[in-house]
Amino acid sequence: MTKELNISDVQEPIATAPPEVRRIIERVLKAERDKLYMKNPRHINDDILTIIKEEVP
Amino acid sequence: MKLLSLRLCNFRQFYGQTPEIVLAGGDRRKITVIHGNNGAGKTGLLNAFTWVLYEKFTAAFASEDQLVNKRAIAEAKVGATIECWAEVVFEHGGTQYQAKRVCRAYKQKDGVEQSKSELRLLAKNETGRWLPTSYQPEDVIGRILPESLHRYFFFDGERIEQIVRSNKKAEIAEATKILLGVEVLNRSVKHLGEARKSLEKELGQIGDPETQKLLKQKEKLEQERDRLLKRQDEIERELGYQDEIKQITSQRLRELAGVEQLQQRRDDLEAQEKLTREKLRQSRANLRQAVSSRGYMVLLGDATAQFRSLVDELRQRGELPADIKQQFVQDLLTRNRCICGTELAEGSEPHHYVQAYLDKAGLADVEETVIRMGAQVDAIDRQVPEFWQEVDQEQANINQFKMSLSHVEEALESIREKLRQSPSEDIRKLQSRMDEVEQKIRELTLEQGANQQQIKDWEAQMEELGRQIEKHRMSETRQEQVQRRITAAEDAIARLKQVQEGLGQLFRLQLEKRVQEIFSQISFTPYVPRLNEKYELTLEETMAGQPASVAASTGENQILSLSFIGAIIDRIREWSKGKSGILMPDSSTFPIVMDSPFGSLDEIYRRQVARAIPVLANQLVVLVTKTQWRGEVAEEMADCVGHQYVLTYNSPKPDCQVDQIELEGTAYPLVRQSPDEYEYSEVRKVGHE
Repeated sequence: MTKELNISDVQEPIATAPPEVRRIIERVLKAERDKLYMKNPRHINDDILTIIKEEVP
Repeated sequence: MKLLSLRLCNFRQFYGQTPEIVLAGGDRRKITVIHGNNGAGKTGLLNAFTWVLYEKFTAAFASEDQLVNKRAIAEAKVGATIECWAEVVFEHGGTQYQAKRVCRAYKQKDGVEQSKSELRLLAKNETGRWLPTSYQPEDVIGRILPESLHRYFFFDGERIEQIVRSNKKAEIAEATKILLGVEVLNRSVKHLGEARKSLEKELGQIGDPETQKLLKQKEKLEQERDRLLKRQDEIERELGYQDEIKQITSQRLRELAGVEQLQQRRDDLEAQEKLTREKLRQSRANLRQAVSSRGYMVLLGDATAQFRSLVDELRQRGELPADIKQQFVQDLLTRNRCICGTELAEGSEPHHYVQAYLDKAGLADVEETVIRMGAQVDAIDRQVPEFWQEVDQEQANINQFKMSLSHVEEALESIREKLRQSPSEDIRKLQSRMDEVEQKIRELTLEQGANQQQIKDWEAQMEELGRQIEKHRMSETRQEQVQRRITAAEDAIARLKQVQEGLGQLFRLQLEKRVQEIFSQISFTPYVPRLNEKYELTLEETMAGQPASVAASTGENQILSLSFIGAIIDRIREWSKGKSGILMPDSSTFPIVMDSPFGSLDEIYRRQVARAIPVLANQLVVLVTKTQWRGEVAEEMADCVGHQYVLTYNSPKPDCQVDQIELEGTAYPLVRQSPDEYEYSEVRKVGHE
């Protein structure tokens, strides 16, 4: 049962998401990556809330 | 991050300004070698990098509060300020940065006071001007190479085995997750959840009473769950701690005369117990898998029998096999003539007769289906005994494992009893400590399991409440809008969780594979590195067909650590090329700066490591003594060396023994008599004088 996984299989849930959800995911990942160096990323919750509100007007 | 140069001023052994130490960074000539004897400032140079970038020092760096050069202080007047700084120029993403950390010493009558250091960061813009960065310097550097990871790239080779030592495992696991992008996913899921909570709160303020009630229930459940999740973390940490105590205690027992053998036997038994538990878990999983994927087959007996009796009936009635094809009958009717020559005029008796065959011929489809289904039914019938056989086998295995577990447990208990009854008080005490720890571990594990179940229950309830809230008709547009946002956030969370699961596993397996490849290239032992689900690294060997963990030597652990760092660099380079780039940290180029890289390794290993490291790292700075830069290391690295520097130590000792090193046909002093009464080091570039 050890199926050879590959990266696109793994990322399929993102690829198949509705456009607005996909944009939310991509923007959230970017925001998190930008603040990855902080142990407790500042204002990250507000950033994400803004992303959701912008993508789902 | 690609390091370009380093310059120091009055930093530790280095009096005044050093020349700029330009670091090699070509595709091939990527190594900078810095030669120096003990005490000449190699560790100081390594720490200059970590001080500038992170304000951190390695364990071997003594008296952190005395950074300013002593000669500079001695020469200054009372009341004067002496500046000490280090400057690192690096490149990242096509931009050059200059990081400079300054610290000042104030000379007073009764001593020296050192100020807090300050970091300045300039970036070179398109026009070639150096300007301060728009973000905090620490933030910019942290984004390029997070502080938590710096020790994997700037390290003391003699202590590198610390990386795989058990008490550091959690820390490394965290750092690895960050490097692999797994942490980005974890945080995204967590913070999207927070955002969803805020949106629900918003909905709570504008929704109708029923919605508000449901939301409140959900919120309460969430709070409860978060509390338990926190507790789970605590338990995890506490278990790690108890485990450590257990290891220390067993280590001490092993060292006590008279019980070493008993303790050794206990260690073996415990390893066996762990392995058997794993096998038991595997067998149970196999059994579950077999029942859920093929278990239905055993219930199909009646259905297959019915199928067979239907087919038999058809055969007895002569309707099967259907030997006339419908198309054939149709052709005869169109031609109006039978194969025997009889004319088939429409309405005539022969026509009727032939036409009647059309119904029979219809059975051809049935026949085909019977054949196809027959094959499947046969396959099912055949597989039923196989299924039972497998189930019996797994059940037998499970019983056997349970039995051997209870034997192991008995044997362990008898060892415990012996130690408890031991005439030596030390031993009795240690054993009673061991009993306490084991009891604690048992309690914690039980609590962990119960919590896990509770969390799962609550999450199911929350999901149900979420559905109810969604169902609740929302009339107002504002409510609809918030609800749409919540749904989108939930969808994003669910999808990210799926990715998280798959990616974590994928990255871990690929990383493990790479560590194994590198390790086997370097080491001559048959040991195999393993990276478990928590990203903890261990060495295993195969004993009598069974994997067992290895008590590795310092050298092996050093090689394991180097393999691990190499594998991480290598995998990240690969992954950031592909689609997974979005999850990766900004850097895909990593420098390695290592002090005394081959400290405890013997000749073969030194050669192998010297060969392997330049291939793995994008850039390498090695700080070595004359003996460390011996034949095999120099030979293996020769083709990749870009720049070389020598640290010359000026000794004020009148009869000091001078030393020198010959490089590229020129002799460079390593130790020489100081021209004055001060002790200090100088940097010289090889091939420059």
